[in-house]
Amino acid sequence: MRSDKKSMFGKKSKKHRINITLLVMAMFGVIHLFIFNYLPMFGIVIAFKDMDYKLDIVRALFNSDWVGFDNFKAFLQDRDFFNIMRNTVLLNIIKLIITFPIPILFAIIIADQRSRKFTGIIQTITCFPNFISWVVYGGIVISLFSSSGVINEIFMRIGLYDTAKNFMTEEQYFWWIAIITDVIKGTGWGSVIYISAIAGVDPELYDSAQIDGASRFQRHRYITIPCITGTIVVLLLLAISGILNSNFDQFYILQNDLNSARSEVIDTYVYKLGFSLRRYSYVTAVGLFKSIIAFILLAGSNLVTKKTIGRGIF
Amino acid sequence: MEKVKKKKSLTTFDIVTFILLICFALLCLYPFWYVIVGSLNNGKDYLRGGVNLWPRLFSLDNYIYVFNDSRLWIGFRVSTIRTIIGTITGLLFTATVSYAMSRKDLPCRNIIFWFMLFTMFFGAGMIPYYLVLKLLNLIDTFAVYIIPSLFNVFHMIIIMNYFKDVPSEMHEAAEIDGAKELQIYLKVYLPLAKPVLATVCLWLAVGHWNSYFDSMVYTNSSDLQTLQLFLVKLIKEANLAASDANVALPSNITQSTVVATVRYAAIVISSAPILFVYPFVQKYMGKGIMLGSLKG
Repeated sequence: MRSDKKSMFGKKSKKHRINITLLVMAMFGVIHLFIFNYLPMFGIVIAFKDMDYKLDIVRALFNSDWVGFDNFKAFLQDRDFFNIMRNTVLLNIIKLIITFPIPILFAIIIADQRSRKFTGIIQTITCFPNFISWVVYGGIVISLFSSSGVINEIFMRIGLYDTAKNFMTEEQYFWWIAIITDVIKGTGWGSVIYISAIAGVDPELYDSAQIDGASRFQRHRYITIPCITGTIVVLLLLAISGILNSNFDQFYILQNDLNSARSEVIDTYVYKLGFSLRRYSYVTAVGLFKSIIAFILLAGSNLVTKKTIGRGIF
Repeated sequence: MEKVKKKKSLTTFDIVTFILLICFALLCLYPFWYVIVGSLNNGKDYLRGGVNLWPRLFSLDNYIYVFNDSRLWIGFRVSTIRTIIGTITGLLFTATVSYAMSRKDLPCRNIIFWFMLFTMFFGAGMIPYYLVLKLLNLIDTFAVYIIPSLFNVFHMIIIMNYFKDVPSEMHEAAEIDGAKELQIYLKVYLPLAKPVLATVCLWLAVGHWNSYFDSMVYTNSSDLQTLQLFLVKLIKEANLAASDANVALPSNITQSTVVATVRYAAIVISSAPILFVYPFVQKYMGKGIMLGSLKG
């Protein structure tokens, strides 16, 4: 009787008691994010001050004058503004349009293969480049596309042109190179999530569709794609949220003085001017400009997918 | 019978996709083959061009050269130590937070989750972040490689989703046995989460091994440079003037090497650990995604 009462009481009080251990564990993450992600947000004030070229950034934070939106205006009037925005926005949108559907297509082709052993080998090989750093991969790409590289040799041998060409130093090729290398490096790994989503589709759907005489194309169009729409939408929104976060590593490694008109994006620009020229306030304003546009883009596309397909991440 | 049936239904489409997949796989592999071949070729001879499939004038001088560059060894040491320490601490830290976030009885769970999620979509930028590191006295210290990467929201969500799938009876049973929350986490949940922890562990390790940006921006000391930063410098440099291997080596080696082939040798050496480990751990790499990353 007594023990019964105690356990009843104990159970009741437990429900109302705050689980301190869990709270402490979660606070590790909260404090970490507060220091490394939220604290820098206060640093956004740098964008509204005049701290460019100051030697001691910490002291300048308290000593320098407020300048309002001058740094933003300076960016809008900069002669590089058009190039940088075109490279950041347009190239990244083209990249998304090309690199987003390819892993889906790749996953469907993989799912169609009969031999699991074969697809296993293909997946192992195609995922590999993803785990190699952009420094290494970019280093290789620079050699492949240089005037002594194999691409130039092939093109010369089939007679496209006569004198050796260095594709890395001619700006008109940069976008192509950025897109192609993205596809080769990212497709295998990008398809993993779709392959597992397709594996989760009920096989009976395919069987009955086959009995009804659906062609292979029809089966994918009306079964596979609708079944993985949820995955596609979430990944698309995540991709859109990061669309202005150009792949810094890729651009930084592949960039040189001769192709910078096509390869300078906000992130590389902020890095260069911020750390080598010490234009702290100016680049913070540029970075903030990017973050705000990216956030609006995400919220907007989230709204659109929610209205049309009924799914979103928020 | 079965075999005949299979053969019959093999269409042109099957053959086309089969060939396409093989071509794409070769396209993924070839760049790596290209550098390995280049790194094993005599440098002066390489510049004549045409070394694409097999070394023409075999030579190990490029490797000898790069092994005599002290920056390679410093980089190798720094990268190895940061990978080991960074992976272990990051995994434990993130897993601990993930456990708390997976429990329904965590107070203010939703608010905390949104607090965390927001950071995935909005960042303050490089300079404010640098300022915070400066205020924390992390600039130019080894800790700048470890502490900021202790916690990762994306990894947290993946591990959290795995913990959520553990039947709540496990927790109740352990509680009845008198286990405390921390014990339940360490003795019941962590061992159960081995597959997803293995995946995140590999991602963390690859991330640490491949990083150069923090080394480039937040450190100055030459003895804190990571291997990848050494590579960045080698790739961005037009010649080998900055290398101290020039002094240490006899002239017949320094004469026969050029920056391109030395670069290749350095590339091969720095990717070798991933190359050797990858085939064995490859099946764990993708598991985390399949174990339920996309539920939120």
